[in-house]
Amino acid sequence: MDETKPKPDYSWNLLAFYALILFTIGEFILGISATSNIAALMILFGLGKAYFIVTRYMNIGRLFSDEEEHA
Amino acid sequence: MSAQADSLAEYREKLINNRLGLWLFIISDAFVFGGLFIARFNLLGDSRPELNQTLGLVVTSILLLSSFFMNRAEIAIGAGDVKTFLRNTLVTMILGTIFLLGVVAVEWQIAPFGPADGVHGAIFYTMTGFHAFHVFTGIIFLWVVWRNGKKGLYTAERHWAVEACAVYWHFVDVVWVFFYPALYLIGSLVIG
Repeated sequence: MDETKPKPDYSWNLLAFYALILFTIGEFILGISATSNIAALMILFGLGKAYFIVTRYMNIGRLFSDEEEHA
Repeated sequence: MSAQADSLAEYREKLINNRLGLWLFIISDAFVFGGLFIARFNLLGDSRPELNQTLGLVVTSILLLSSFFMNRAEIAIGAGDVKTFLRNTLVTMILGTIFLLGVVAVEWQIAPFGPADGVHGAIFYTMTGFHAFHVFTGIIFLWVVWRNGKKGLYTAERHWAVEACAVYWHFVDVVWVFFYPALYLIGSLVIG
């Protein structure tokens, strides 16, 4: 095999997870303490979490990439 | 060597179409979940069913953690590290099973209402049931990928099944990101 193995890059894996946990804790605190309707704010929290999952974990960018490879 | 290179070129060409097909499936499935999400607000408005909010937080954290490990598994196989891939896939499977049991074997049992007890029960069991079925199929998909990985079928260059499995698993996570606040946190509590 003349190809060298690429080095795994876990940096975004961990950063995205931290962001998800922060959003989830914030959402929970807000949810149990809120006295008024917070549906819109909760959906914003959800969109924030979805952004990290779709871009960093699902790698949606690969769909629009010209690269015909996995990485 | 040339035949091997041709085969790899063909594989890479197919990869673009495979990705498009998978995302079309994901988007069409998202419409069904979107319909359920809208139905929750249409039917329940500013009220929510009586559920254990701490349990909701715990199962949500477990599912997010499973996505973290699934991503690590995909990165590892992309670098040709089969051992790390197998370990992380196994952890994802275990966490997915714990989430499934947390919802179906715990939350469904302790909820003070059944699927036929009014609109709160109907919407709660439909949303969580449909999602749980996706988690269940995701676990089967993970098991197939793990088993094939053990047989040495995936390499750094060829692991489309792992990528597809990861995207599907993360999609199930994205759905729960919206279902969790909609069922556990938004609105005033309705007893019974």
